Amino acid sequence: MRPTIPSLRPPPLAAWLVELFASADKAESILGDLHEESSDICSKSGVVAARRWYWRQSVKTIFHLFGAAFCSAPWSLSTIVLMGFFTHWFTATVPERVIIAILRAQRPYSNLHYEFYVRLINYGIPTAYVVTSMLVGCVVAVLAKGREVVATLTLIVVRSVPFLWLLVFAYEQNADRGPIFVGAFHFFVFRYTLEMIGILLAGVLVRILRSVSSRHATIS
Amino acid sequence: MAGRGYLGEFEHIVLLAVLRLDDQAYGVTVRGEIEARTKREVSIGAIYATLDRLEAKGYVQSRAGDPTPERGGRSKRFFRVTAQGVSAVNRTHGALRSLTEGLNLLGSRS
Repeated sequence: MRPTIPSLRPPPLAAWLVELFASADKAESILGDLHEESSDICSKSGVVAARRWYWRQSVKTIFHLFGAAFCSAPWSLSTIVLMGFFTHWFTATVPERVIIAILRAQRPYSNLHYEFYVRLINYGIPTAYVVTSMLVGCVVAVLAKGREVVATLTLIVVRSVPFLWLLVFAYEQNADRGPIFVGAFHFFVFRYTLEMIGILLAGVLVRILRSVSSRHATIS
Repeated sequence: MAGRGYLGEFEHIVLLAVLRLDDQAYGVTVRGEIEARTKREVSIGAIYATLDRLEAKGYVQSRAGDPTPERGGRSKRFFRVTAQGVSAVNRTHGALRSLTEGLNLLGSRS
């Protein structure tokens, strides 16, 4: 009876992450190389070792691709990220202000109407944060052609600096951290998390759409 | 400026590996050659980032190979050193030779 040689199916998440950071032709050769080497490791050391190797190489590759993407066009990428930073800085709170202005102008006249108000505050404002951040993220990703995820991730890092600084500053300045402070603190962390998710989601979506359209163009 | 510049340490290593492999230079073989000869672990990403930089400088050229089943149906990307790349290697070697001339590098120095 012949011994069965274990075969490796590349971890889909690792392969997908590499594809997000590499151009289509580069991803083709990198993923091919990873597949070839991991299959070799799989036949020598088993599936677990091969999977571990694949993941380690994928993470290292993503770091290198990130650095290479930034170094190949530092000025244009910096300009796009700064533009995104200021756009987000000035527009992030606009939908919230609009919703609050509407609520102030229109007083609830029934229970049903009141319920709608509560829903708008509870779900409308957080949704508005995600949508605004996604719009800014989309603009940044579209402008950073081929470096969508790199640009949006850089925007997240740049956007995090003033936010984290403000958070630490507010925490240190308020000796009496009562329930109002804790509530506001949690709200800002929640809002920041939603915004960053929105920006990243936009980068990933634009990247996927571009990959799909370029694949269709290659086939046809 | 790329035509007159010197190679960085890793660029130098990658270029020499591609030269050694001749027409069989692609990600896996370049990585294997570097690890076998320098005993230094390198990632696929580092190889590709460096090869892309070298290609942008005109020191290497790449071409796509055919898709193969052992690569999950994905194609290879073969690299070849250009005449400009060979000049860059020679220039860097010349500079290193000139700098090390007369130095007793094997002698003990604590």
